[in-house]
This record gives sequence, C-alpha cells and structure tokens, in this order.
Amino acid sequence: MKKIYFLIVIGFGFATLYAQDNCATALPITTAGTFTISTINGTELPQTLCNYTNASTTAAEWYAYTPTSNYTVTVSSDLTENICKDTRLRIYSGTCAALTCVVADDDSGTITCPSSSTSYLSRASFSAIAGTTYYIVWDNRYTSTGFNFQVSELPAGYNPCAAATIISAGTTTVSAINQTNINTACSSTTLSKWYNYTPTANATVTISSDLMTNICKDTNFSVYTGNCTSGLTCITSDDNSGVIACNSGNTNSNLSVKTFDVTAGVTYYIVWDNKWSATGFDFTLTEVPIIIPITYTTQTIGTINSAYNICVVDMNGDNKDDIVGINGTNMRIHYQGNTPGNFTVTDHTFSFSGSTSAALVPNWSMAAGDYNRDGYNDLVLGNGSGATIITSINNGSIYSAFVPGQYIFSQRTNFSDLNNDGNLDIFVCHDIAPSCYYLNNGSGVLTFYQSTVTAGSMSIATTTGNYATLFTDFDNDGDSDVFVSKCSGPPCELYRYDGNNTYTNISASAGINVTPIQTWSSAIADFDNDGDMDIIITASASLHKYFRNNLDTTNTAEEGFTNITAGSGWDTNTATNIDNIAYDFDNNGFVDVLGGGSKIMFNQGNSTFAPVGYTGISVGAVGDLNNDGFLDIQNGTTIRYAVPNGNNWIKFSLQGVQSNSNGIGARVEIYGSWGKQIRDIRSGEGFKYMSSLNAHFGIGTATSISQVIIRWPSGAVDVINNPGINQSLHVVEGSSPLGQEEFSTNKIVLYPNPASEQLTISNIELNTIKNVSIVSMLGKIIKNIKLTNNTISIANLSEGIYILAIETIDGKKYTERFVKKN
Amino acid sequence: MIKKYAILLLFAITISLYFSCTDNDDEDYTDVSPVVVDLSTVPYEKLSDYHFFSGELKNQIPSIDVIPYEPISSLFTDYAHKKRFVWIPKGAKATYNGDHKILELPVGSAIIKTFYYDNVQPANTTKIIETRIMIRKAEGWIFADYVWNDDQTEAYMDLNSSVKNISWRDENNIVRNIEYRIPNEAQCIVCHKTKSYINNVYSQINIPIGIKPQNLNKDFNYGSETANQLTKWIQLGILENNFNLPTEENTTVNYNDISKTLDKRMRSYFDINCAHCHTENGHCDYRPMRFSFSETYNNLTNMGVCVDTQDMQDFAPDLSKIVTPRRVNQSMLYHRVNSVDETYRMPLHGRTIIHAEGVTLIENWINSLDDCR
Repeated sequence: MKKIYFLIVIGFGFATLYAQDNCATALPITTAGTFTISTINGTELPQTLCNYTNASTTAAEWYAYTPTSNYTVTVSSDLTENICKDTRLRIYSGTCAALTCVVADDDSGTITCPSSSTSYLSRASFSAIAGTTYYIVWDNRYTSTGFNFQVSELPAGYNPCAAATIISAGTTTVSAINQTNINTACSSTTLSKWYNYTPTANATVTISSDLMTNICKDTNFSVYTGNCTSGLTCITSDDNSGVIACNSGNTNSNLSVKTFDVTAGVTYYIVWDNKWSATGFDFTLTEVPIIIPITYTTQTIGTINSAYNICVVDMNGDNKDDIVGINGTNMRIHYQGNTPGNFTVTDHTFSFSGSTSAALVPNWSMAAGDYNRDGYNDLVLGNGSGATIITSINNGSIYSAFVPGQYIFSQRTNFSDLNNDGNLDIFVCHDIAPSCYYLNNGSGVLTFYQSTVTAGSMSIATTTGNYATLFTDFDNDGDSDVFVSKCSGPPCELYRYDGNNTYTNISASAGINVTPIQTWSSAIADFDNDGDMDIIITASASLHKYFRNNLDTTNTAEEGFTNITAGSGWDTNTATNIDNIAYDFDNNGFVDVLGGGSKIMFNQGNSTFAPVGYTGISVGAVGDLNNDGFLDIQNGTTIRYAVPNGNNWIKFSLQGVQSNSNGIGARVEIYGSWGKQIRDIRSGEGFKYMSSLNAHFGIGTATSISQVIIRWPSGAVDVINNPGINQSLHVVEGSSPLGQEEFSTNKIVLYPNPASEQLTISNIELNTIKNVSIVSMLGKIIKNIKLTNNTISIANLSEGIYILAIETIDGKKYTERFVKKN
Repeated sequence: MIKKYAILLLFAITISLYFSCTDNDDEDYTDVSPVVVDLSTVPYEKLSDYHFFSGELKNQIPSIDVIPYEPISSLFTDYAHKKRFVWIPKGAKATYNGDHKILELPVGSAIIKTFYYDNVQPANTTKIIETRIMIRKAEGWIFADYVWNDDQTEAYMDLNSSVKNISWRDENNIVRNIEYRIPNEAQCIVCHKTKSYINNVYSQINIPIGIKPQNLNKDFNYGSETANQLTKWIQLGILENNFNLPTEENTTVNYNDISKTLDKRMRSYFDINCAHCHTENGHCDYRPMRFSFSETYNNLTNMGVCVDTQDMQDFAPDLSKIVTPRRVNQSMLYHRVNSVDETYRMPLHGRTIIHAEGVTLIENWINSLDDCR
C-alpha cells in the first residue's frame, strides 16, 4: 500500500515537472508574476502559424494565462537576468484543438548582450479579456536554455504615461511615488511617478535629484521616448550617480543624476520609481542648448540612376556644379540651372575609340579636369582592372571613352599637372603595385608611366598599397606636392615636388611616417589658418593623427609637421571611415572635416574639433548645387542642401591660360579681419568622390574681404582688391595682375597700353622668348605670334581687353594684360 | 681443345657483357628527364620550352621527374579544374619545416598549375586557359603565366592580365558564362608573398602556398600505384626523409567531404581560400582574422566569430560583426563571400563568381555556432 502511495506522489510530481510540455497540460497563470523555465523540452509545437513557422524548432513550453480582469498584458523575457539569452514567443487564444494567433515576438527586447549590438530577448503586449485563456508558448528555435519571463498586467484604461505631469526646465517637487508603473527594460517596480518633457530646442539636458534638500534620500529614474500606447523605449536611466553622501555613517550617495542630449519637439518621459523608496523629493532639469552650426534640407532626385553617381563638378562651362553619373556605355549629367533644385538631365552615349567597347566603371573613384583645354571637363574613371579616360570633344557635346588597357588596381584618381608644364596629367593610385600616371603632352597624347617601372618615370607612391593621393602645395613654393594615404601597414608618404620631374620622398624629415596607421584618405587643409596646409591622417581603422604644418617661409630651414592629436578632439573620435574630406561646411571661416560616424567634426578655430551629429549623413560628392554659396553633399539620389545660416562667403572659379585650364594647383588666398585663409584647387579629394573644382570660402560674420591673391602654377599672380562678398568670382589667369608699381625689375613691360596698331614688348631679351600668344579674357588663344622683333601687330584685333602670354625657353611664363582701342 | 673452350668462354663473356652493358644503357636512357629550367633565361616565352609535358601539350602528360600532385582542399577559382605538378632538379631535395609550413623546395624547382574547363560550349570540349608557374631562382621565386591559344597547341607568357569569356556546362548540367580573369603579376604577388619590416623598411618575398604537408598528406593515384604523396616524394628522392607524416589533427580535409566534421571542413576551406592573405605577414594581416589551419584550431576568435568588424565604411550596421553565430545576415564574412562586388567581395582576387558550395558551407557553419558571450 505504502509503495503504491509513494509511486502516485512521484507521479504527480512528475506530471507537474512536465506540466508545460504540451497545450493540454499547460501551466496555468492567473496573475502577473515572474516565471522560470528551466529548459525547453516539451515536444508539442503549435501547429497554427503565428508570425513564425516551426522550422528548425523541436520543443516548446506551454502556459495558459487567464486574467481575472481586463488588462493590457505584457509577456516579456526582456529582463536583466536573461542578458545574452535567446528566446522566441508565440501567444494564442482559442482552444488547444483550434488555436488563434494573438501576437508573437522574437527579438524586440531592449537588453543587449555586451558582445553584440542587438538583443535576442522577446516581449509582446496584447489586450486580454477577463476569463479568456491565452496560451503563451516559448520555443527552442534558437536554444533550449532556460530563462525567466514576466507577465505584467496594466488595468485596461489606466496608463500612467498618459497621466504624466508636464514639466520644463527648473525644479519639480515629487510629492510621492504613487502611480502604477509600466514594466519596461529599465524599470519593473510596482510604483512610479511620470513626467512629460518636450524640449523646444536641441539641448544637452541634466536631470538630477542630487540636491542638498534630498540628503539621505534614495532615488531611481529612467527616461523614455516613444508613445504611451504603442511602445516606449528606455534611452537612459540612473540610480546612484549623485555625489551628495548621506551622512549617517557611509560615504555613498543614493541620489541620481544623468546628462543626455534631447531633440526639439520630441517628448521624453522621466519616470521615478520605488526601486528603493516611495518617499517624495525634489529634482532639477537643466538645459544647455546645442548650437548646430549648419542644418540641411534634403532633396531626392529620382533621375540620378546611373551605376555610379560619385561626381559633382561643372560640366558645361558655366562654373556651376553639375552632377555626373556613369554607366559602362553612357554618362548622365544633371546640369544645374538657374532655379535651385531644378536640374536639366542629359544622357551622353560614349563614343569609343581604339579597341574600347565599354568604359570600365568607376567602382573605386573618379576625377575631373579639362586636360585637352577645350573648356569642358574630362574625366578619369578608377576601376579595379584599370583606368578609363573620358574626353570631351566638340565643345562638350560628345564624350569619347578610351581604356588604355594597362592593369591598375585603381584606388584614388586625380588630375594634376605632375611636371608643371601647363598640361594636366592623370594620376591613378595602385593598390598592389607602384602607382601609375598618364603624362599629357598638350597635343592630345597621354603616355602611361608606372613609378619605378617605366624608364624615365617620376617617383610618386612608389611602393605598394597606395589608397589615396592628394596633390597640394605643402611648402608654399608654388607647385603641388603630394601626400599618399596608405592602409596596409607601411606608413603614409609625403613627396615634395622639386621641379625638373623630381619628386622627393620627405616622409621621414616631415615626421608624418608614423606607424601603426591605417587610412584610405586623409583630410588636408589649412586648419589653423596660418597659411600652410596641415594634415589629419583620418583613420579607416584605429586612431586618427592630426599633424600641424610648421612651415616658416622666412627662413631656409625645412620644418616638418608636429603631431597635435592629443586634446584636439581627434584623439577621442572613435568613428573611422575610408573617405574623409575637408570643407568649411558652415562658412564660419574654419575648415571642418566630414568622415565617419554620421557627424561633421567642426573646427573650433583653436586646433580642436568638436562633433555634431547628423542622422544619415555620410561622405559624398561636394559642391554648391543650388548656387547659394554653401556647400551641399550629393550621395546617390539624395542631395543634402546646407541651409544658409547668415554667415558670409565667397567662391572662385579659375580659368588658366598659361597654367592648366582649371587652375588645378593654383593657391587662392583671401585676407580680411580674420587674417588669412587659403585653398588649393585640387581634383580628387578624399577617397572615392570627385567634388567641385571651385574654391569655397566662408568668412563668418565678417562683411568685407580686403584682398584676394591667386598664385597660378605658371608663376603668374592675380590680385583683386575689395571684392564683393557673397558672390561667385570667375578669374582668368593674368586678368588682374599686380599693380605697375609692384613690378620687379624683371617684369615685362608692354607699351603703349592701351594700343591700337602695335604693341611693343620691352624689358626682355628677344632670343629668350620661345613663343608668344594673344589670349582672350575667356582664355581662348586668339593668335600665336612668331616674333621677329619686339613689336607685334594688333591692328586686326577687335576692341577689348586681351592677355599677352609669353613663354621663355627656360620655361618661365609671363602674362600681361593690354587693352586694344581703335 | 682448351683453346676452343677459351674462345667460347671469351665469346660468352663478351656477349654477356654486351647485353648487360646494353641493359645499363637502356636504364640510363629512360631515366633522363627532358625538362629544361635554365635559371639564367627563365621565364621562357612558350610553355613548351620547358618540356614539362610529353606528347601533345594539351594532354598534360608529365615528363619524367615532373610529379603530379593535388592538395586535399582546393582554392576556388570560378569552378576551373586544375592540374598541378612539381619539378625538382635531379639530386636535390625539398625539406620539411613543419606540418603547416611550406615545404622548402631547392633553387631550380618549378611549381606548375594548369587551369581548364570541361564541357566548354558549344562542342562540350575541354579548354585549357592558363598555366601558372613559379620557379625558384637563387634570388627568390619568380612568377610566369602561360596563356593557351584557342588551338590548344601552345601557351605564351603573359603577366599583364587578360580576360577570356568562357561558357561551359557544369556538373549540374547548367550552362554558365563567365569573364575569366587571367591575373597580372601584381595580383600573383598579393597572395603569394610574405611581408616583413626591418627598421620600418617594408620588404616582401614571393612564396608558394599549397605545398604544405597538412595539404599533401593524402593518397594520390600515380597510375602505376596509389600512394601517400609525401611518402611518394620521399621515395622519389625529392623530399628529405627526416619527419613523420602529419597526424590526423594536423591534416586538412576535403571541405566537400560531408563525412568529415563541419568544423574541420570549414577550417580547411578557410585555410586554402583565405589564409594566404589573412595570416601573420600576409597581405591583409592588419585585420584581426587568422584563417590558417593551425591558427584556427580551437580558436573561433581567429575566424572572426563575435569579433567587431573594423572597417565599416558604408555597410549596414547589421554587419558590425565579422561572424554573428546563427545570424548570416549579421555576419560581414558571409556578406563578402556571398558577393561579386569587386570593391568588397572576398577573396578579392582569384574569383569573379560566387562559390555556391562554399557559401552553403559557411552558412551551415555559422548556424552551428553558439551565441556570443
């Protein structure tokens, strides 16, 4: 008898242990609480679809929940003790034989596992009717490991969130913690007190109960965004970060304080709970407004649909930036018109030459420059197999595409006058071999060279692993040097152009050859406005390095760069990116940097940078796409237009005559109350994109510019005094030379000026002159002259202003303006 | 009477001497290999110049002393089939440096790898595309690539890279079309090198990849016999006999062999397809992954499991881990291997289409892993 009794007891215990294994024996739940599943091993699976199938699922645990009143019920495994676990939940009504899906959830939890960025815990809410049985089913789709889950009930119709007290900045008295709580990832206590705060401006907010009046009290709070009915997200919380210690024998503070950023117009719920105490206290809310230097509006242009849309540059010679898209057989250009936001779309089918039948698409980068001097920009496309050159012919109405055929694992591409002969050359970084370039002889012939491989080649980026090159003048001697960003282990390189086809590797003496370093592109500009180009080696992984250029042109010593990363804001910037570009995005007169992390690093003007986040922002092609003087960013079909913020500006488009057609390599300086700002005209910034060839300056609140100096690669210098602000200036080389009184004794003199029949050239040995030409103010060569004596006839010229361009046999170039009058 | 015997004896001796000498001459004659690898003039212009093969070049019948071999797991190269051979100068031997280290071949050695497709359309013929060769000169290994003519009679040296359109019917009877890429020398160097820094000065040397004992430790059918490849090389006198064959634990498996464990199949796949770049001093050693067979033993971290992706670029935040257990959509490794986009596919060189079987293997492996902790 005893034996049988014993067995029966065991039997019941057994039954209880396995009571959740199927629907029929589901464990009853009648009230809110916490339940423990030791392991998922029940063999019955629900056969009714409820968001999820039973694929890869072999077991489940069943609970039958019957509320005694109408409630909004939340079933959740989203508990701190379940951290890093993985659960899946389905809830049914009906009967075991005929289940009806109510709600299901897999990964809506908010508690993230430290080693991943997502939560695999589940939570679901539904309206439950008194007396109705709901089947709560947890399955082992991902794991059979056990966990706890909570069932919480909120009386139907009562919502403490909806009854929250509206507050703003200042001190609020909490009389007591006495509202029912809503269970969330941050708070699952019984009682709470809810406050509703909606800031009117973006700000950094601090909530604090850390006040002397609260000494020895114990508080805990959470902050939510979202909606009282459709779901709250806990964004932050705090328990004991206060410092005011209770003075009854311990040195801990049980008071709370937390600082976080808020966005204007978003409602935040501040919820104090009775985790430790329900006693009342005071708390403060303080706001520090966040000033956003520049804001953006966006426009989606559905007609941007080429395979590669990575170039913003003027393509029709009106000096306004257009948008270029490339396919293998054609190019789509969105031409900027006179109405902001309106673009005229034109498709150009490539004409192919040689054995080329399709362009190698620019899946790595592209660059623009007018290498054939017809007044319309040409393009180079960087592809993993080699380069393609797109040449404008017939006044920009036809584009010819040619694949030279050499194998280049292309990275960054640039147009630059590599040997300073006035002709734009094409440079292509090589990822796995020394870099390559095509030398332009000025007569339509491009010759391929590979550094260290081709006889007579110039040595630029001579080893392997070349990701980006940026051509700019680092030693202010009037020609472009080059900085090479490298990622695969070897340090970056700086080459100084010394004339005569010679690039000298000065990486060590410059001090920029630090390792370890990983960068695909560096942000280079005069960040401290002292007149020379600095380098921020912006990392693609690991740490950034900010180098200040110590150039001092008053002496002959060659200074290097100093690493000023510590305390600059680049030391604490953990966001990395392959593409990093330097532009004055807010036109306040200091050049900023856009890289990774959905933010712009704004230059604070004292060699430090501070980030401002912009949701969804990333590097794209940069230019002024609505002609308002503020730089915009195009990425795919989205244009981000900067909204003018009251700062003043000026922008320049350059036209070379002796120098290359775009003025690439020219140094533009502006002077005013701020001191000096400089830009170099460069083709190919950052890693992938081609951005405007115009020079953009912001001057902040200054209202005038005293002087602009443009130093051309040819040596010519143009000076413009007191230009108007907030305008676009087009400058032709030689159109605005230094005043007569500033001539050096070597200056060429033309007389008479104005002239009508003849012009005499003086102060130069005739036999040193190689050629002379007359050039229009628009840069077109009108006449080439064979000098027999020092006079030239201008009888046949129509009235107007012209430029006389002289080149000597030792390569010096002079331009002088003269006026023809009848 | 005695004189006659003497003459007979002399005659007999002479004849026996003659025959035995003749036999010796025959053996000497058949032992001589026609292979010519003149280190002062290689690489030759034509593949036939080496005399690596006897009979018609396209039949790929190895000459004497040219030894065919096959690694246990093979690099994926757009489904091209491969025939591999090694030639070691007479009298010299390769040496063993460890189960997972490359056998050191003596100066003058050549490693040969021919790439071909069967059932090439329209006539379902076999078409050889290229034969890649590495030769060890005194100053180091050099590369040579021989591109076959359409007649399949000869292959010509070309390291400048080119493309061949191939259309073939695969093992599943599906016609596939690809633009097969024949590499440039710079691409050979990407995988076939090891890097070093001496006083901050970068240098690199070219190295073979496949010929490691871990990969060779299997039987090969030589026609006359089937034998373990390492044992056979020792027998042939081209490999020093001073080591034990690798243990089973130190030997890779054929990743297609479903009788082997998923873990070992995955590690073998990673080793032969990824480790040449993703290993210490490899092309991409600045990333944390270490995929070589010996480095992935009991080491999920070296395979990127639960490791943060370093270089996120514009990728979706979901891909912020190299491998997320049981979540292929949250694994950067899977995303790259399952892509043909030239700017981020993995491997970067050597393939243009997706290796469907490899991707499935990786998916099964990812789904077998335990959660990150």
